Amino acid sequence: MEEYYLICEDSLEGVFTGIYNAYLMKKPHSRLHISIGEEENLRLFAVYEDCPADEKKAASVAGTIIREFGTEAYLAICRALASGETDKGEAVYKTVVTGFHMKNRKALMGNLANPYVHRVFELARFTANEAHFHVEFLRFRELENGILYAKIGPKNNIITFIMLHFADRLPLENFVIHDEIRGIFAVHPKGKDWFLTSQEEGMEIHSDSFSKGEEEYSELFCRFFHTIAIKERNNYVLQRGMLPLRYRKYMTEFLK
Amino acid sequence: MNSDSKKTQYNLIPDSSRGMAVNCSNDIAMTLPESGRKMTLMEKLGILSDAAKYDVSCSSSGVGRKGDGTGIGNTSAAGICHSFSSDGRCISLLKILFTNECIYDCKYCINRKSNDVPRASFTPDEVCELTIQFYRRNYIEGLFLSSGIINSPTYTMELIYEAVYKLRTKYRFQRYIHVKAIPGADPMIIQQLGMLADRMSVNLELPTAEGLQKLAPNKHRKNILTPMRQIQTGITQNKEEIVVYKHASSFVPAGQSTQMIVGATPESDYQIMMVAENLYKKFDLKRVYYSAFVSVNEDKELPALPGGPPLLREHRLYQADWLLRFYGFEADELLSEQKPNFNILLDPKADWALRHLEMFPVEINRADYQTILRVPGIGVKSAQRIVRARRNGNLSFDDLKKIGVTLKRALYFITCSGRMMYPTKIEEDYITRNLISNKEKLPFDRDGMTYRQLSLFDDGMISSWNQAVSG
Repeated sequence: MEEYYLICEDSLEGVFTGIYNAYLMKKPHSRLHISIGEEENLRLFAVYEDCPADEKKAASVAGTIIREFGTEAYLAICRALASGETDKGEAVYKTVVTGFHMKNRKALMGNLANPYVHRVFELARFTANEAHFHVEFLRFRELENGILYAKIGPKNNIITFIMLHFADRLPLENFVIHDEIRGIFAVHPKGKDWFLTSQEEGMEIHSDSFSKGEEEYSELFCRFFHTIAIKERNNYVLQRGMLPLRYRKYMTEFLK
Repeated sequence: MNSDSKKTQYNLIPDSSRGMAVNCSNDIAMTLPESGRKMTLMEKLGILSDAAKYDVSCSSSGVGRKGDGTGIGNTSAAGICHSFSSDGRCISLLKILFTNECIYDCKYCINRKSNDVPRASFTPDEVCELTIQFYRRNYIEGLFLSSGIINSPTYTMELIYEAVYKLRTKYRFQRYIHVKAIPGADPMIIQQLGMLADRMSVNLELPTAEGLQKLAPNKHRKNILTPMRQIQTGITQNKEEIVVYKHASSFVPAGQSTQMIVGATPESDYQIMMVAENLYKKFDLKRVYYSAFVSVNEDKELPALPGGPPLLREHRLYQADWLLRFYGFEADELLSEQKPNFNILLDPKADWALRHLEMFPVEINRADYQTILRVPGIGVKSAQRIVRARRNGNLSFDDLKKIGVTLKRALYFITCSGRMMYPTKIEEDYITRNLISNKEKLPFDRDGMTYRQLSLFDDGMISSWNQAVSG
């Protein structure tokens, strides 16, 4: 039997378009697959088909997911699709298929005994956890011109999730969050809506362009960070469990 | 909460006391004795955060307020930890004392009158500036302001009020503020401060009145419980007001908490748990914190702790505290007069289950939520997921593993569709042996603290107490 692979873009629109096209093909779902980006090992007896993202199709799928499975499932799917893993497209696609076979479609994400639903749940949890870690551990530094600048290096594409939080929190600040790995900047101008932009030539931040107050307050915080610990209870293993090492290279208190 | 309503509350304070707070805050000594020069902000922060570190309660949870006051609840209500210090405790709030000068002489406290330590005080503006600048860099979630007692409790509270008021109005800081209510202060000032703060706490310090009398001669149980009751009544009244007048400003919206020092006095775990349970039930506390006694002063009234702070005991108390708050247990079920201390080898939940084997095994696909919650190895989240997931068909052990159940502990207590995971005996000795053999994951000391050392150390503490009592 032939297997069909739809090759989608690595984005929400890409995968949703893939799901739309998969339903158009009217083939058994067990033989249809969605893969993200070029497949490295091509299989025999498999048909590969490129699937360019289409805004209209994606919007229609998004609407269907919200209507049929509720916002909880939609949010979980969005989070899963922000993941850095490559099997996310397939997991989301088969989760949607599973949902349509359930009596109570709104309970889709509760169906953890299903391997695809469970995978979406896992991916969504990882993204949500990492986003939460960034809400906690992200550090702004004030540039000379008063703009707050933060650099991050997440495994999943979490920048939109954390921007919602920070835009709500610091509405009256100009701030920029920079995803070093994907080269994305999220920019929030004071009192306005935020937007995403990708890295362009010559957009380098130099460490000597930070403001004077920045030096003072980062040192004050480092001092606070060290004095607040109770030496008799020192416990580096616990500290590492709560605050993984990979976040520390972006954090003010660990840089000095 | 808008700034206007705060302004009117502020004006409710008698003019005389307000004037005092403003004028005198500048008089506090802020010079280093040896050189006479002014202390820098860095030095002050060093001294006053060092002095505040023994206060627990760093949580920033319990209130989901957005900048404009509409709030959509859960996510922000969960609290945010911004960093973790080298002792593994979370840094969520800028935890500082307003001043570490103190007229009291509590035996266990580093800031007691008779100690020769460098003293410092912030000005309200310094507190505000630090909070704002730390906050906008995402270092902290809010402010935790406590203080040594200078002149009198009421006077100290006025200083704190001054700082918090400034932060809320002049600096328009809408985020989390936790302040200590100082026992013995004028109820009026506590009421006023409650309108500005998110959480207030009064430290119980020691679980029993006798312990308090011995180690904190200036503090009295009654004085501690009075403001606690006042805050509780304030919160209840305020809730009723909010029902009637939607825009009434909220009084201590994140509730109140307290803290007990564990291991400085000879109370049993049973006594401590009963006190905690009473505080939750009768005073509607949000949290009770247990703080393993850290020996910072040499004093004949204090126990010597050669093994360091009693961390395992603190850990067991927190485990039990969670059982009270989220698992529907009562303190009486966990401990009794005959068995006054927690098992050092087993966590309180497993210990309880082993003493109630007649209730097990539990059928995962049938049992109600409360019953599933009592199975060792199943937490609140797993229990909720189980209840949701089994609607779509029977769950197997494989599914449970995916859901997040710790099967190596749960397997002795559950069945899936009538079968146990392995043929096991439901027998206390057998299960105990197996539970102990796969080592419990403790949050401290990966290699150093073995069980043997711990039990020796516990004995050591009891005998040192017996000596102290008899001699």
